[in-house]
Amino acid sequence: MIRPLIFLLLAALPSHAAETAVFTLKTMTAQMKYDTAELHASPGQPVKILFENGDDLPHNLVFCQPGTDTAAMALKQMENPEAALKRNWLPDDPRIWAHSKMLNPHEKEEITFTAPEKPGTYPYVCTFPGHALTMRGELKIAPVGGGLEDLRFALYLGSWKQLPDFSKLTPHREGKVDDNLIHVKLDDYKNEFGVVFTGKLTAPKKGSYRFFLASDDGARILVDGKEVVNADGIHPASDIKEKALLLEKGDHEFRLEYFQAAGNIELYTAWKGADFQTTPLSKWLHPDWKGGGKKKQDFAPIPLVVRDEPVIYRNFIQGAGNRGIGVGYPGGINIAWSAESMNLSLLWRGAFIDASRHWNSRGGGHQAPLGYDVIKPTGEVTPAFFVTDKPDAEWPKWDPKNGLRHEGFAWKGYSLDAKRFPTFRYTWNEAEIEESYTAEGDGNKPGGAPTLIRTVKITGPLPANAWFRLAAGPVEARDAAFVLKGATSCRITAAGAQITGQNLVIPAKPGTLTITYQWAQ
Amino acid sequence: MKRFSLLLVLCPSLWAADPVESDFYKITTFETPKETALEVGSIDLMPDGKLALGTRRGEIWIVSGAGSSDPSNVSYKLFASGLHEVLGIAYNPKDRNLYATTRYEITRLKDVDGDGRADVFENVNDSWGVSGDYHEYALGSRFDKAGDLWVTLCLTGSFSSQVPFRGWALRIQPDGTMVPACSGIRSPGGVGFDADGEVYYCDNQGPWHGSCTLQHLVPGSFQGHPGGNVWYDRAPNMGPRPSDPVPEAFQGDRGRKEARPGGDPGRMVKERESIPQLLPPAVYLVHGKIGNSASAIICDLSGGKFGPFAKQLFIADQSHSNLSRVYLETINGIKQGVVFPFRSGFASGIIGGRMDEEGRVFVGGSDRGWGARGGKPYCFEKCEWTGKTPFEVHEMHAKPDGFEVTFTQPVDPATAGDLKSYSMREFTYAYREQYGGDEIDEVLPAISAAKVAEDGKSVRLTISPLTKGHVHELHLDGIRSTEGLPLLHKVGYYTLNEIPK
Repeated sequence: MIRPLIFLLLAALPSHAAETAVFTLKTMTAQMKYDTAELHASPGQPVKILFENGDDLPHNLVFCQPGTDTAAMALKQMENPEAALKRNWLPDDPRIWAHSKMLNPHEKEEITFTAPEKPGTYPYVCTFPGHALTMRGELKIAPVGGGLEDLRFALYLGSWKQLPDFSKLTPHREGKVDDNLIHVKLDDYKNEFGVVFTGKLTAPKKGSYRFFLASDDGARILVDGKEVVNADGIHPASDIKEKALLLEKGDHEFRLEYFQAAGNIELYTAWKGADFQTTPLSKWLHPDWKGGGKKKQDFAPIPLVVRDEPVIYRNFIQGAGNRGIGVGYPGGINIAWSAESMNLSLLWRGAFIDASRHWNSRGGGHQAPLGYDVIKPTGEVTPAFFVTDKPDAEWPKWDPKNGLRHEGFAWKGYSLDAKRFPTFRYTWNEAEIEESYTAEGDGNKPGGAPTLIRTVKITGPLPANAWFRLAAGPVEARDAAFVLKGATSCRITAAGAQITGQNLVIPAKPGTLTITYQWAQ
Repeated sequence: MKRFSLLLVLCPSLWAADPVESDFYKITTFETPKETALEVGSIDLMPDGKLALGTRRGEIWIVSGAGSSDPSNVSYKLFASGLHEVLGIAYNPKDRNLYATTRYEITRLKDVDGDGRADVFENVNDSWGVSGDYHEYALGSRFDKAGDLWVTLCLTGSFSSQVPFRGWALRIQPDGTMVPACSGIRSPGGVGFDADGEVYYCDNQGPWHGSCTLQHLVPGSFQGHPGGNVWYDRAPNMGPRPSDPVPEAFQGDRGRKEARPGGDPGRMVKERESIPQLLPPAVYLVHGKIGNSASAIICDLSGGKFGPFAKQLFIADQSHSNLSRVYLETINGIKQGVVFPFRSGFASGIIGGRMDEEGRVFVGGSDRGWGARGGKPYCFEKCEWTGKTPFEVHEMHAKPDGFEVTFTQPVDPATAGDLKSYSMREFTYAYREQYGGDEIDEVLPAISAAKVAEDGKSVRLTISPLTKGHVHELHLDGIRSTEGLPLLHKVGYYTLNEIPK
């Protein structure tokens, strides 16, 4: 509420179809994503995109017709990779209507085009091999909606903590708003006043319309005398409230009531229909508006950067249960180990992890890896060891609800060697287990042949019929290795491993297991 | 308030300036390492005047030189990182290792190669559940007189207990064995000890808690929130599960957002009669007046180096960024006592705190998640006595027919003997499932006598009625010291769980 007012004035920008829509679109470092997954423009609007490749891989930006299966389109190039390479991985496909060059790492390009006349959702994608599944977004083309007409204001003076019944009060001043855009004139009164705006809004057809409101202090919107959105009380304008309403085709009476107690003055409102994009009805735009009313809770990223020694991050990691231990090894190879299941949960390459979810606000929720090509060898929080006479059967599943842990396992901790590489220790029944990892190759670069080597040292007696599971899912033997198929396939080698049903297993015996995991290229 | 005092300073010919807190207790703000956000969550003392700081970002920093009179002598060394929120840190002089209480385990950290960085992280105990819910904090203690560590476990979402032992205080013995110690915890803010080594924790306002509180962790006791009592079958040492307070409210659906059918909710003093395990809060840290988010418990064992409040407790608060002061006594077998405001103006929300033998109080914290008056996102600070004795209430003792109030300096007998110098208000909170609650059942008792002791260091107040279970809010606006000064803090809140026989 004490933000300087000048900030608001800077945020004021009219939205007319004729003006060029300017966007900056960046690629995220080692995450295989664009930083923006949604762009908005009006039909026929000039568009300028400043495309910046901040990643260490080549990327392009290719706009396609609505309904294009962009992943299939990009994959089709692999049928004739030589020809595709000559085209610099730009598919020869009539559905492409605008595109950038293939930018090398840390290059920029400005691309301009006229937005399609036909409203719709136009996908954009990077067509470099292997990128299209995650590196994509949508350009949404929709016309701007109509604005208010015959807008009038009535100014009231008074000190309130919530909206008064303005119908019982006498206005201090009334008048017409020439530009038909709602705003509070700052040269009037700074504190303790209220304003009621009334005007006409035309629904182009019968249907659902969504209204947005953010105010400091309280406000509400009424359409045809009925309250639609309420943001009453004394508060900053950080939350954008929204509500949809069914309207008949034609004119509707619009009324917005606002009051100011003290401090900052902010008032933003907009509406959106099935056939038009979010259209401001106020002169000011909310700083977080970006074409929609969705409440944003984005924190500035805090990527944990791995340099010359491993970085450990114990926290809630998506896919590693509630006792996750993330390890980012030098060279763009990362794992999440679970002290819940005493097992490797995830491996991925590229960037390690973003701590901003846990290091902002209160620290809840599970954070997904920051990098890409995430492999989950044995599913969610399952142990590696299991006693069974049917190793093709299901392994024990984790039930997070009652907080039960897998029976027979006890977590002991970890130690760091001279290079700060961790060795995890736990016991399973009578046996003591030590697990450590090394990384080879470069997970940050294509063709870097990244390899994770897992060493499992088993000491002490093991029960009969004890098995160690390496992978679960569709596995096939190929070229002296096993391939675990998935969105990202993984090549696994381990002496004595065998496929049984959906499981890749090794009979568990005292000694040392060495397992390698390679990302299939 | 501050500005008002400033005005007075400007016209010294008319008024002598009233003393302010900073005349007596000085706050020093340390620079913190540039490479991190030092969101201090816990502090303990190490040998050679060093400190160990555990942070919300999972780091442990060893601090040297913080005791120096020159704050620029402070230096930091990163001992460990990557832990899951260090809201408890304890140095064990027996094995010379640090023990960190984190979200899901107590970890022993060893520096085997002696390079100043931990290289062995051993699980001491991880026998409680954690579900990924943001509120499932684990706040740990230092070692108690038996060599045990205590960990208090916040409820899931601070409302219910979805995984084992949420809402409990657990005792971790030196061999790593866990012993369930107390049930009934809601949202702990810190665990600490009094001068006798008794264990306390701070709980926060919410369901079943009208206000933040200081609570005595008597093994076997039920501390008031029934949410975690579903785990009694895993704690056979605790005996039978206590009956639930106001059963119809407890069995209801929290999500229903309706007032409890059946009228007036219960009162702690009434429920104690039917729930023998229920231990009432030792002190209500009156909501909005003393604080809003009670955290660290710091006992003055400096033998006078922190001023006149030896053996008293100082309670930190995250949202008010302050310390308040508690004097405790044992009446009819249970703890109760009084809380006074003490020192405000810390730079961020205080979460961790520890006093050294020289009477230096080290505090630190962050405003993350709940906001704090201090204004800075995080801080590490020191609070020291300036050597000037403030004119304050020293202790407040319950008597069968009133209170005895002692002072840090002799009182002016005329003002201290004048009944008009005092006023009292008594109130309590509903003991109910809904969040927080107002000060209710107000009683305005009559103060019929104020007898000043011959040495001028105490006053005996005769008050009627005293109300068992009520907070007794005593105002001493009219009292002056023999030098004509008013009290630095003119109001205290005494929680009268028991009236002395």
